[in-house]
Amino acid sequence: MNRVIALCFLLLAAVIGFLHIDSLPVWVPFVISSPTAAEEQLELVPNTKSKIPDPIGTWLPETGAASVHAASLIALKDGGIRAFWFAGSREGAADVVINSTVFDPKSSSWSAPTVVMDRVSAEKGLSRYIAKLGNPVPARMADGRLQLFFVTVSIGGWAGSSISSVISADEGSTWSQPQRLITSPLINLSTLVKSPPLSFADGRLGLPAYHEWIGRFGEFLRVDAGQVIDKRRMSSGRSAIQPLVFVNSAQDATAYFRQTRSANQPKQVPVSQTHNAGQSWQPAEDLPIPNPNSALAGLQLNNGARIMVLNNIETGRYRLVLMMSDGQSGKWQMIEVLEDDEALPDEQRKEFSYPYLISVDGNDAHLVYTWNRQKIRHRYFSGAWLKHAHSQLTTPELEAPIPYSGG
Amino acid sequence: MNMQIIALIEMSATCAVVITWLLQKTASQEFPWMLKVLLTVLIGNLFYWPLGFGMELPLAAYVRGVTGDLSIVTLLLLWTSLLLAAKPTPILFKFVIVLLALCFYPLALGLGMIDPYAWGYGSIAFFIGVLTFALVCGLLNWVKGVWIIAIAIIAWAAHWHESANLWDYLLDPFLAIWALLAPLGILNRRRKEKARSGYLFRPG
Repeated sequence: MNRVIALCFLLLAAVIGFLHIDSLPVWVPFVISSPTAAEEQLELVPNTKSKIPDPIGTWLPETGAASVHAASLIALKDGGIRAFWFAGSREGAADVVINSTVFDPKSSSWSAPTVVMDRVSAEKGLSRYIAKLGNPVPARMADGRLQLFFVTVSIGGWAGSSISSVISADEGSTWSQPQRLITSPLINLSTLVKSPPLSFADGRLGLPAYHEWIGRFGEFLRVDAGQVIDKRRMSSGRSAIQPLVFVNSAQDATAYFRQTRSANQPKQVPVSQTHNAGQSWQPAEDLPIPNPNSALAGLQLNNGARIMVLNNIETGRYRLVLMMSDGQSGKWQMIEVLEDDEALPDEQRKEFSYPYLISVDGNDAHLVYTWNRQKIRHRYFSGAWLKHAHSQLTTPELEAPIPYSGG
Repeated sequence: MNMQIIALIEMSATCAVVITWLLQKTASQEFPWMLKVLLTVLIGNLFYWPLGFGMELPLAAYVRGVTGDLSIVTLLLLWTSLLLAAKPTPILFKFVIVLLALCFYPLALGLGMIDPYAWGYGSIAFFIGVLTFALVCGLLNWVKGVWIIAIAIIAWAAHWHESANLWDYLLDPFLAIWALLAPLGILNRRRKEKARSGYLFRPG
């Protein structure tokens, strides 16, 4: 009798389970990349010497923290740019907070920095012990709100990371309580974010993430507000993290990774591809650009050109370059050296790392990156400047591939 | 009720159950049922409420920071094994859990491109597999198993925990470790029984 009642209950659970599965959203195509259109075209201080303004450079405001890292950006509805980064006495310290500031393109200046999240707020909001905070990555939700994904660690190093998120309805002035994203079956350990999310046609976000504990591989999370509703593996093994996704069409996308290979393997950019909107990914041939186990940033412009910022050397992070591809040939050419300490002795070389790129109007590009772990550097490339660089790309004499000098 | 409060209550109860179980293990005689309940409630409250003493969070939140939320199967097995005098969990169930965990965790943690964890987000085939497993538990006359798996499925559909993945309601590493240690428990019990019977025949 007891068994019959239990089996009837199981039948009820089966019905509820099937109804639940039936109610889950189906997988949909990507939204073809169209950066948030600002209401007004950015007008930065024009360079009087030339028709094409030179890229401008600013620094994110300092908070007095000795160590800063992992800056990211998002375009605001009023044409401004909001930046996030983490800062503290050292990377991984308990006093690390996630800071934010807003860039006013009219005055080319940043607002006073604010604290979006600190360790104690995170652990109180998430109702569990948190030891340290890490990478922040912002996203624009389909309903117009901002969502900030960030990494937290309760035990161990970065390999013990989990992702949480907060949501803002006022462009980042105030934030909701954090929510935990569950992404791993082993105590939810070891999932991190670094690169910007992309949008699905149903308004949900596709968040490129990665594991870096036993395996080091990319994962593609399908996120519905504060929870992961599906995830797919982008690579396997121990060789590729921090996927950066370029959407080629509604079904096709290419992911470039930071390589984490062992010493005797090629130090180049690993690649994965999907032909079904991220439902399955296949490893592809490496991009023949050196990568010293460091993050890369990228962006597709409205004219089809793609840009990437990365350290194009095999060891060290002392050189940072801007590269461009016309989007059709798939060939990448260096268009600007942003930082280069190659001439300095090893011990004097600074570290330029963790680039992050966004566009406000689809033609221009804002870049932030870690400058020797002490400051966050911001560079702005106008649409005109990038267009000029693009036109130079197609010039026949420049079509010869530029050699990448390994370090 | 807030999902975080539910999770903290569950974790407090689990910590209380484990401590009560440890107390019972060290005690010379079996606790009466009421004492077990009383101890569990008392210790559970200690874990749930913020105690101060320089701590930012209740004790349960510190444990949760390390363990994450436990699966419904683990919770129910743990709670019922202390508070209900049920027959021991079948060794076959433990064996299947061990086998499953040995295949599942390496694949889910990055070995190859097949990720069985992703099936837990709504794969019909996986769900039918889970139902079949529960049905087999029922046919083998382990009724508690049927109840536990059915409750875990309903908890998943109701989004009881933070996870939207059915795996997280069914399996966690602690369940796998417990199942893996089962042979040791059996050996220990046999050793005790032997020692006890030896005592009976010891000359007085």
